[in-house]
Amino acid sequence: MGLPLFSASDDPGPSFLRFAERSGLVEARSGTEPAGRHATTVIAVRYVGGVVMVGDRQATSSYIASRDVRKIEAADRFTALAISGSAARGMEFIRMAQLSFEHYEKMTDMSLSLEGKANYLSPIIQRNNLSTPLTVIPLLAGWDPSRRDGRIFEYDGAGGCYERRDFATIGSGTPFAESALRLGFRTDLDREAALELGALAIYEAGDNDPSTGGPDFVRNLFPMVIILDEYGFAELPADEVAQRFVAINERRTQSQGVAGGSLR
Amino acid sequence: MSNYFYVSPEQLIKDRAEFAQKGIARGRSIVAAIYDVGVLMVAENPSASLNKISEIYDRIAFAGVGKYNEFDRLREAGIRWADGTGFTYSREDVDARALANYYAQHIGDMFTEGQKPLEVEVLVAQLGTAIRPTKLFRIAYEGTISDETRFAVLGGDSETIKGRFSAAETDLEPLDVTLRNAVAALAGADRKIDVVDLEVCVLQDMGDRRTFTRLTDERVAALLGT
Repeated sequence: MGLPLFSASDDPGPSFLRFAERSGLVEARSGTEPAGRHATTVIAVRYVGGVVMVGDRQATSSYIASRDVRKIEAADRFTALAISGSAARGMEFIRMAQLSFEHYEKMTDMSLSLEGKANYLSPIIQRNNLSTPLTVIPLLAGWDPSRRDGRIFEYDGAGGCYERRDFATIGSGTPFAESALRLGFRTDLDREAALELGALAIYEAGDNDPSTGGPDFVRNLFPMVIILDEYGFAELPADEVAQRFVAINERRTQSQGVAGGSLR
Repeated sequence: MSNYFYVSPEQLIKDRAEFAQKGIARGRSIVAAIYDVGVLMVAENPSASLNKISEIYDRIAFAGVGKYNEFDRLREAGIRWADGTGFTYSREDVDARALANYYAQHIGDMFTEGQKPLEVEVLVAQLGTAIRPTKLFRIAYEGTISDETRFAVLGGDSETIKGRFSAAETDLEPLDVTLRNAVAALAGADRKIDVVDLEVCVLQDMGDRRTFTRLTDERVAALLGT
């Protein structure tokens, strides 16, 4: 690639996507492609002071293709991006988002607002999902420094962006995770309660949805847990995550596999 | 019908060089220097928002003197080139020397073929890794590229400032010493530059992927001990 210079009238501005399209780094898509790995459950729950995200680790095609996929990534210091749907497209999507937010920051010497980031993703989702069967549905959550609050944005298949004031789920395990969240959510959750609820929701999804991986005690692989608060993006250490799922599992063992009429 | 006058190539180059030098000499200078664990860039810049120094990539920074609109366009092209190259290949394939060469070609082309030469001098600084050295590339208005081993000075009065800095600093020093020497070299003996009129940035590895930091006025004051 040569030095990408543009005249003032056709300058792509700080948008990496527009620049990438102009210079042929990405192409508009068409036609059908073979289905790849997919299926997921990722949840995000707001609490007083931030957002908790929990995601399973399994990639599924007609068999279990991978057990340690990272479906939640830091899009930048204060934002996390999770993906469901086509793994190949999802990874590319996360890469494009990460690069775009950093590109904007370097070009303008300012960070994009959280709402700006949420809106930026809409046309990318729309373009991908309306041109191939390899759909991607992301989930964006972050700490909004201007509002001093955690915020969650979910998307529909056509790229529509909706802010959620409570919680959101993506992926094939949504019915099960969503049920747990609906029963357990309160507006005054603290961080500890949100972590507990989020872990339980993913446990339920892993228990009921064949395409969602639950805690894997054999390989010592557990869902990933992310906290977004005023200090930014942080991943809960593996042993702490393991403890939570061990505790849930012990309760379930005692009640012989059923929640036992309460959120356990 | 218009009349053409013969102008010898020597005269043409001389005129263009003079034109570019005059434009560059109007602005304030920049000192970039390698210190014990990083690269320091100091500009005398009364504006707090129109930057002369900026981040290009994880370990690459840009500095420009001369006409703001001209070097800012080069800065933007550099960020696009770096992000585009990293997107196509890998982040570790983004190399400052390649970018410096593109700048040199473009600035050189504009000098010989453009309507007017660019009135800029730019610097591409790279913080080294296991496989790449720490480097300062200075590209002059006519496209000459020079590879500076310890420090570089951009701008009108560069020879004088160079002399002052090399007399004060003979070896790799910590950040505060290098900063004091750089500011003293920019200011000269009979002048003092206010902290608010300084733009100070560093490339230093703090364990994160990105290494570029713009130092706040408070931090600069603390380092200068004023």
